[in-house]
Amino acid sequence: MLKIKNLKADIESKSILNNFNLEIKPGEVHAIMGPNGSGKSTLSNILSGKKGYDISGEILFENKNLFELETEERAHKGIFLAFQYPLEIPGVNTNIFLKTSLNAIRKARGEKELDAIEFLKLVKLKAKELKFDEEKLNRQLNVGFSGGEKKKNEILQMSILNPKLSILDETDSGLDIDALKIVADGVNSLRKKDNSFLIITHYQRLLDYIKPDYVHVLMKGKIIKSGGAELALELENKGYENFN
Amino acid sequence: MIEQLKIDFEKLIKNSNFSKKNVEIKRKSFHNFIEKGFPNRREENWKFSDLNQIISKNIKNLSFYNDLSKPNKIDQSIFIDGLEHNKLVFVNGRIEKIEFDYEEKNKIEILDDLVLEKSNDDNNSLLSLNNAFVSKYFKLIVKKNYSLQKPLVIYNITNKDLVSKSINLKVDIFLEENSSLKLVDFSDDKSNTNFINVNYSFDLQKYSILKNYKIDNNSNNNIKYYFNYISQEINSVSEIFLLSSGSEFIKNEINCNLRGKYSSAFVNGIFILNKKKHHEIKTNINHLVENTKSYQLIKGVLEDTSKAVYQGKIFVDSKAQRTNGYQLSKAILLNDNTEFNAKPELEIYADDVKCSHGSASGSLNEDSIFYLMSRGLNYNEAKKLLINGFLLDVVEKITDSEIKNLIKNIMSLKQ
Repeated sequence: MLKIKNLKADIESKSILNNFNLEIKPGEVHAIMGPNGSGKSTLSNILSGKKGYDISGEILFENKNLFELETEERAHKGIFLAFQYPLEIPGVNTNIFLKTSLNAIRKARGEKELDAIEFLKLVKLKAKELKFDEEKLNRQLNVGFSGGEKKKNEILQMSILNPKLSILDETDSGLDIDALKIVADGVNSLRKKDNSFLIITHYQRLLDYIKPDYVHVLMKGKIIKSGGAELALELENKGYENFN
Repeated sequence: MIEQLKIDFEKLIKNSNFSKKNVEIKRKSFHNFIEKGFPNRREENWKFSDLNQIISKNIKNLSFYNDLSKPNKIDQSIFIDGLEHNKLVFVNGRIEKIEFDYEEKNKIEILDDLVLEKSNDDNNSLLSLNNAFVSKYFKLIVKKNYSLQKPLVIYNITNKDLVSKSINLKVDIFLEENSSLKLVDFSDDKSNTNFINVNYSFDLQKYSILKNYKIDNNSNNNIKYYFNYISQEINSVSEIFLLSSGSEFIKNEINCNLRGKYSSAFVNGIFILNKKKHHEIKTNINHLVENTKSYQLIKGVLEDTSKAVYQGKIFVDSKAQRTNGYQLSKAILLNDNTEFNAKPELEIYADDVKCSHGSASGSLNEDSIFYLMSRGLNYNEAKKLLINGFLLDVVEKITDSEIKNLIKNIMSLKQ
């Protein structure tokens, strides 16, 4: 599904990612763990098309060159990024935003757009699953939401948009243990043979609830070790400093 | 220009039946205008909008006499759809329709044969120009305890025959005790390069309510000045909303005097400008007695080489204890060649006062755009959503839900 070959990314001639390689097959869950500044967020930004990086190498998503696609086209093709810091958008009603987003994606895929009633039915169901306070959906997008609510809102969007590849950028940070379980349940309910996940995190904690197929250790812009779920535990015990 | 002015003025006097008293006042105002001319940037009030320059740049051979002897056709298609309303229709400066179909006839009164008052126009040459050249001067009186059933829309229409003219309108609105009026100003211009000068005076007796929504949305290259004088007695409320968008140049000046205790004034405005449009909102809110309140919120979205100016003044008299005054202005500049000038002014002589002001401008937040695009919206959709979100809270301040919806429709803000 996703193939990253020799990815190199600089920002203002500072090297962030270098000789980065990764392949994710349909249905797989990959976790990338790494210390601050190792390039984790840069990777998720590049995958979703954020501008401002000097990039070389290749990224194929379902055999299509990702660099030829704009941010919104990547979303249409099924790439979703759950932001580390979801933005507050004043004046934009959350429900309206969700509906606009879903219908933009459905339209691009040639599917029928949902009307208000169909949409509300869907959003109600998903909000209930995630124990997301429905009343908040009538508020301005993320404005006045707590850190945990913002993160849950990302997962709600993910579950409504039903992407093929979901990238979770430190979704666990700032979540209490109950919220963490809800978020993990949300992710697990979306795990299907065609849906893949890339989970970016500092801590092993989230991986107790979402069992990854592969764990990669990212240091200084490069994957230095890959393994199974047990690698996360090893990392947790040793710390990044003593790893290598 | 002075020669033209003199010829046109004499022509007006000759061809109209003004009373002797009116002619006398008109002459005085005329001389005042001749002496002062159009305001320029040396005047503090006009420092960001040099009207003299704007007029000479945009209007060739401005003339001041307007033949009002023949009626003009009204293009009915421009009437606001889906809103039952009373109408006052001006076409090319001539009154063509007065229609109050929804109201009790003895509860409103319209006077049109008025003697000009010796208004204090000495310092405002545009009011002198208006006094000198206005042909009919209207006054609407809403009687005690009466609330108009439907809004009144004053249409100010100019059609394509009108070129390089100075058009002057003068309307007084008098709200008797405990009466109320919703007034919409709606302009439609198919004309080119005219100077349109409107002089409003609102007199709000105690417990009366004025809601005035000024919609300048249709693109045109006329130059406009709207002067709004508001006087408020005990417990009266004025609410002004401005959508300032369509004209090449428009300055809305609001001069509000809170003379009665517990009176309050709200001024909310939106600039949506592109090309080289230049708009200004200038307010003077005078808190003259205790326990009065004013609130001003102005937002702008500027594109291309457009320019917006907001000069907001709050004056608090030494008698005006427990005044509450607030003003905030914000602008989004969509490119580097736009300009937003905000000049907040607070002049406070009382000590028990709550007043605040603020202003901010900046570009669209690219991170927010990226966030929305990552959810499948293209750049323009994301931009539009952010801009609408930015402007929405000003529109939400409109207290009349029917007109709020109308304005949302006009701005395509409907979500």
